[in-house]
Amino acid sequence: MSRKMILRVPKFQEPKRMEKSEAQRLWLLLKDAIVEVQHMNASTLSFEELYRSSYSLVIAKRGDILYTGLEEVNNHHTKNLLDKIAQAVDERFLIELNSQWQQYKLQQIMIHDILMYLDRMYVKEPQLKVFDLGMFKWKQNVLIHSQINDRLVRMLLGLIHMERNGEVIDGALMKSLIQMYVDVSLKEKETYKQEFEERFLLATSHFYKSESNLFITNNSCGAYLKKVEIRLIEEEARIKQYLDESTGPKLIKACEDELIANHMQTMIEMETGCRTMIQNDRFNELKLMYRLFQRVENGLVHLKNEFAGYVRNEGHKIVNQPENLKDPNALITSLIEIRNRFEKTLSQSFANNRDFINSVNTAFESFLNENDKLSESLALFIDKKLRGGFKDSNDQEIDVIMNKVILLFRFLSDKDVFKKFYEHYLAKRLLSGRSFSEDLERTMISKFKQECGNQFTSKMEGMFTDMRLSKDALDGFKNYLQTSVEMGKLPKIDMSVRVLTQGFWPTFPPHSCTLPPLLSQYCDLFTKYYCHAHTGRRIIWQTNIGTAEVTFRLPKKTHVLALSTYQMLIMLLFNDAEKLSLKQMAAGTSISFMDIQRSVKPLYSGKYKVLKRTPAVEKSKELSENDIFELNLNLKCKLHRIKFAATSQTDSEPERQHTRQRVDEDRKIEIDAAIVRIMKSRKALIHNDLIVECTKQLSSRFVPQTSMIKKRIENLIEREYLERFPDDRRRYRYLA
Amino acid sequence: TKIFSSYLKLSNDLRNLLQNTNSHSDFEIVITRKSESPKIYRCHRAILSCRSDYFNGVFRSNMKESQEGRIELSDISEQFMENILTYMYTGQYEISLENAIESLIISKKFCFEELAEFSTTFIKDN
Repeated sequence: MSRKMILRVPKFQEPKRMEKSEAQRLWLLLKDAIVEVQHMNASTLSFEELYRSSYSLVIAKRGDILYTGLEEVNNHHTKNLLDKIAQAVDERFLIELNSQWQQYKLQQIMIHDILMYLDRMYVKEPQLKVFDLGMFKWKQNVLIHSQINDRLVRMLLGLIHMERNGEVIDGALMKSLIQMYVDVSLKEKETYKQEFEERFLLATSHFYKSESNLFITNNSCGAYLKKVEIRLIEEEARIKQYLDESTGPKLIKACEDELIANHMQTMIEMETGCRTMIQNDRFNELKLMYRLFQRVENGLVHLKNEFAGYVRNEGHKIVNQPENLKDPNALITSLIEIRNRFEKTLSQSFANNRDFINSVNTAFESFLNENDKLSESLALFIDKKLRGGFKDSNDQEIDVIMNKVILLFRFLSDKDVFKKFYEHYLAKRLLSGRSFSEDLERTMISKFKQECGNQFTSKMEGMFTDMRLSKDALDGFKNYLQTSVEMGKLPKIDMSVRVLTQGFWPTFPPHSCTLPPLLSQYCDLFTKYYCHAHTGRRIIWQTNIGTAEVTFRLPKKTHVLALSTYQMLIMLLFNDAEKLSLKQMAAGTSISFMDIQRSVKPLYSGKYKVLKRTPAVEKSKELSENDIFELNLNLKCKLHRIKFAATSQTDSEPERQHTRQRVDEDRKIEIDAAIVRIMKSRKALIHNDLIVECTKQLSSRFVPQTSMIKKRIENLIEREYLERFPDDRRRYRYLA
Repeated sequence: TKIFSSYLKLSNDLRNLLQNTNSHSDFEIVITRKSESPKIYRCHRAILSCRSDYFNGVFRSNMKESQEGRIELSDISEQFMENILTYMYTGQYEISLENAIESLIISKKFCFEELAEFSTTFIKDN
């Protein structure tokens, strides 16, 4: 702006000096009006006149007259009200107090409106605002007066007590009176907290302490939990209905302390408590318990520990039950059953809480490894399923079972033992042609692969490859036979050979036997054919796991007997003899006596007896060398083909021992490799660190025993991979 | 979501409401100055009470004015009353060097704190 402009000052706004008498007149006018307002006679007053009077006094710097006057009028009025209210009899007391309070509040709003200019322009801290002044006077002269306060709080708490006991009370009245404590609090609801809330919370704790003690002794845990839940809902509603919301968390905490925290141990231990609920799968009650325990500090820890303890205990029972120890199938089935059961509890009652799941898993880990038979039992369980146990299940059910197997497998600490057994039984299934489905076999293996990686399943997969390649080799061999010159000289037999790569397959205990010349010739032919096709390979015949079909001619009928190779050899001896002792059988076949025993047993003691013992001996358990057998020419059997078990179905103890020994051998190699790996990268290490590191590295496969690691260290020192420091015997150095 | 706002339209619509005096008005403001004949402004309680703490008090206290439906003001000129009414309805106030000081006083009396603040700044700046 280039031109300077001048503010116009209106002439009438020059504040006139106000005479004292004029000020007094205006105050009296206002005072009369305020008294009228306090008597609820405001309708004839002029708002503008009163407002203007207060405005004029403040403009004229006479606000002090107005403010102190107001203080006096309020003081006087509230003192009068006190007398009136205090006189009320108990039945009328709350209603009278409330109605006076409601009126008083309205009056204070009106007074505030009239004196708005005073409030804004004159009142300065620490003076109270006009409305707050009114509240303060009410508090000072009415509410916290000895004639009111105790009586009021006592009656309010009495009503709440009644309501908690099921009576109906006037919620709106409660809300208004309790809110009064908040309204008269100048800052941070201090009057409400000091005068009401503190005593209310105390009364609450008191009430629930005695109620809960009484209720829990006379009712079941389930009923108590329901009661607690209802009580908590009621208290939540109470907060909304008539308490200040700031009380909410404190009230709920007080209730939770009395109703839940103080009785947790009881709820767990009482006869109808947590234990019983878990035992009886009371999912809903447990769910409620979980929900309630969740609310208090450490509540879930208690519940979790109790649950995990139960799981461990149940598992322990199953794992050590004598019947289960004998029957791997029953053992694993029971384990899968309880796993399912606890998973159901976890999902239905415990919201699949991570901590709960983890502690259940820890429990499984501990009881599953209590017993060193579990690895084998699990392998046997799958063996049975894959031999046909899955026949009646659909894909989905099979998948579920397989996943459970993997789950149990995951808990095993000695996975290498399991692996050995699994390979062992897989080999037997494949070689005996007893596997129900190659697809299922592969599915199972792929699950292990997913879980443990390639290394874990490479041998198993190698076995499948061998089976396929064997088929090719056999086809080739048959073609070769047709074109071979030597073939013309030999009687025709149908021979099937499987070529197993050493290393993929379990090493079967070495056995020897003498094959009949014809078979020997065929074997030689095959060896010749195979080694010609695959130079550099060596064939070792493993006759003890083979099978054979033999024609059995009886006077009236002819049968085909499906036998093991050994049984075939034994039966063939009878072509040249009528009676044979076991000793003679062993001599004639070069089979060990133990194998003779095991092979003969199914032939004379099964359902169909092709051999009979002479003289017949009833139920003699042990066979001796001199027991004599002859062909049973009176065999009665409608079947043309008769199948015999090679030996008893499950492995004998020596075989089992053998598998275990092999696991130990493998472990030595693994430990050696781990130690060398660690020392190679660390160069020097203290004994304990080496043990720890080694255990850590191997933990995914098995848990090595410290004593075993120690022995391997000694061994490696002997083999000069490591040496001890001369000045510190506890330290090792890697020798490159 | 997006919020569509049209304050200008709102402001103009309310200006029309104020000028079109017969529409639903339920309160009268009467300016009485000794020398002149009374001037009557018809207006709306809802708008006055939500725009001004002063008028809110008038209606809330339910005193004579609220009961009679009219208020008499003697210490304000027609010109300023119109300015104030326009401000209450439209949110706009025309301030100039001529009316600045009186605007400050009036807005203080009727508790238009934002307007009082603006007037003070305006006076200081000039």
